[in-house]
Amino acid sequence: MALAVDIVAERESRGRQRRAAAVPYLLLLPAVLALAAVSLYPALDGINASLHRFRYGLDKGFAGLDNYAVVFADPLFWQAIATTAMFVVIVVAIETLLGLLLALLVARELYFAGPIRVMLILPMTIAPVVVGVIWRLLYASDIGIVDPLFQALGMGAPHVLAHPTSAFLGIVAVDVWEWTPLLFLIILAGLQSMPQDPMEAARVDGASRLQIFFHHTLPLLRPVLLVAIVLRTIDAVGTFDQIFVLTKGGPGTATQLISIYAYNTAFLFNQYGRAMAMLIGVLAFLIVLMTAAVRLMRRTSEKIE
Amino acid sequence: MTPRERLGQVLVYLALAVAILLALFPFWWMVDTSLKRPVDIFSGVALWPQQITLDNYRRLITDYHFGYFLLNSLIVVAAAVTVSLVLGTLAAYALARFQLRFGVRKMALYLVLFVRMLPGIMLCVPLYIVLAQWGLLNTRLGLILIYAGLNTSFVVWMMQSFLEEIPRDIEEAAMVDGDSRLAALWRIVMPLAAPGLIATSIFSVITTYNDFIIALTLTSTPAAQTIPVGVSTLIGKIEIQWGPMAAAGVVGALPIVIFALVVQRNFVRGLTLGAVK
Repeated sequence: MALAVDIVAERESRGRQRRAAAVPYLLLLPAVLALAAVSLYPALDGINASLHRFRYGLDKGFAGLDNYAVVFADPLFWQAIATTAMFVVIVVAIETLLGLLLALLVARELYFAGPIRVMLILPMTIAPVVVGVIWRLLYASDIGIVDPLFQALGMGAPHVLAHPTSAFLGIVAVDVWEWTPLLFLIILAGLQSMPQDPMEAARVDGASRLQIFFHHTLPLLRPVLLVAIVLRTIDAVGTFDQIFVLTKGGPGTATQLISIYAYNTAFLFNQYGRAMAMLIGVLAFLIVLMTAAVRLMRRTSEKIE
Repeated sequence: MTPRERLGQVLVYLALAVAILLALFPFWWMVDTSLKRPVDIFSGVALWPQQITLDNYRRLITDYHFGYFLLNSLIVVAAAVTVSLVLGTLAAYALARFQLRFGVRKMALYLVLFVRMLPGIMLCVPLYIVLAQWGLLNTRLGLILIYAGLNTSFVVWMMQSFLEEIPRDIEEAAMVDGDSRLAALWRIVMPLAAPGLIATSIFSVITTYNDFIIALTLTSTPAAQTIPVGVSTLIGKIEIQWGPMAAAGVVGALPIVIFALVVQRNFVRGLTLGAVK
């Protein structure tokens, strides 16, 4: 493939060659600058802010690691971290299981396979804010349908968003509704790009469906599953929009994820420095996950190729 | 087909029917509520509006500034996506076609992924401070610049994998015939990459249109607020106006749902963000 490039290059003069060598870097430059402007620059600015003291939203000068010390000693911060961790672990586990189940159901000869797939993934395509609105309407104790549904089944009306435990479970349900489709899609793509021979051979040898699944399908699916789980975990840590619309972190602090707490700290209490100190802690954790994600992705694509 | 296999088949469709019902019913509840009169909304569970009214939608325009929100979303999304498509495609071409030295390729890809995975909340505080310094808070221009930058990462990632699938021989033949590289890219490669570009644009539109937290923190009046922020303003009120809120949700979801139905096939690829080839 590189041969044709060489032939073209050989025909060019040295000066043109050197200019041609710069072309890819010039093509790359605007995008890299744009990306850096919206990620590295704010990140550095954020680190800077985390080292400053703010009062009424105004920068009151360098404060060393004071913000970090305050955050570290703040029980609400640790509570938000614990709530977030619990939320992420639960939703990712449920979504992976349901996504796998759905993918296994759809990965076969089906009538209406296309429309079925689109209908199943619709929840993940709409704005998270709208997801929040939809569930606000479903959970509402005066005009909703969840309470009447429980009553119809002979149970008491749960008033989902009014009590700490049910509110937490309520936002878990919303997240599962919204994001199971993503796991489903990734796993389905993995299933469909998988070699079928080992399964076929095992079937001929008389293995049961469950045996085939656990001995052949699941191990082959492992890399794809890992990528999906890491990607979803990274996204779930930043969950904000739906919670903002549904509970704003309440009742009390039952659904106060770290993103909500950081948002309140920054934009309600105008403590930008403190908010950034929190977020940088979370970011450090996310970078570890991201690095893992990149490694996994590279390994996955190598395996598939 | 043995009876047992047939039973299995029936169970599969049954399970899928339940899954589809769970996925779609919440949408219907919102549409249903949005078409009801206030009295009917409060008159108990009804899976179909007793009397269909578009009053809630009319009130979005007359009482809740949705005309402005729609206009802002339209301008911001169109401008940001266009800019990012140009920047991102050029960069993707460089990554897909050239041997880059000094680990530039790896660094560029890491930067792309870094931006893609960064949660919005992490960007809000610093971007708020930066935009305040530049006097761009509560402006469409501020939103356009930020969304263009953020979306560039997505375009680079997607277009790189699309461009890699196009055989190099074709454009090299054009270059031997005397085209410059950019001419070859424009005349030969882009038409072949059109389906990928269309898929990428659609996803760019969806993610940009759907964003909430950045617009929420960086805008404050209908002069620059976008649809998702507009939707959330209906919730902040002391007494929630359920009808208009449901209608706002429908307006917020509709463009995306239509997109999803129109471009089914290319959908998967963008949504899974190249996690699986």
